[in-house]
Amino acid sequence: MALLIISGVLPFILSFWPPLKFYRHWRALILSILLIIVIFGGWDIFAAWRGHWKFDPAGVGRLRLINLPLEEVLFFVVIPFCCIFTWEVLGHLKRKR
Amino acid sequence: MKEYTLLSLASVLVAICADKIFKTDILKQRMFYLFLAVILLFKLMVNGYLTGQDIVVYNPAYFLGVRLGSIPVEDFLFGFSMVTLTIIFWEYFKRRDK
Repeated sequence: MALLIISGVLPFILSFWPPLKFYRHWRALILSILLIIVIFGGWDIFAAWRGHWKFDPAGVGRLRLINLPLEEVLFFVVIPFCCIFTWEVLGHLKRKR
Repeated sequence: MKEYTLLSLASVLVAICADKIFKTDILKQRMFYLFLAVILLFKLMVNGYLTGQDIVVYNPAYFLGVRLGSIPVEDFLFGFSMVTLTIIFWEYFKRRDK
């Protein structure tokens, strides 16, 4: 859980930085993240069910969604968000040059 | 059967095809590879920690067993597909939004 907060908090705050105009595309942001949750969350549920991998109970909290720790579900929200943020920052820097 | 290996390879193909189908062409942009490098840096830290501390444990029956540090090679393919599809969807919906 701590790892997720460390990863997500800076991109989240910086996404309100005006030049990025992130808020203009909130619909695209939500749709993209939703699709990633469905596709990769689905894969993860399958993999955990088949036993491709498992999560150490000591490393995650007790809350579960289907067979995934809550942290794993949030991972599919935080990481796409960080990716889109990074992508937009790079695009912004490129336009400025 | 090495199911994780096969699934992760398939996901890379899906991501490459999606870039064509949605006509986002991000794989042709040089900036995308800079983006991948930045993401890879953070991935090595986070994924390295999760696998190094055995928070996620892999079943040897389903992956090759080849690791870079503590990270199974399949994780790099999974990661590539996930971040690539994220940007494809984002660019697609952003364009449609206008």
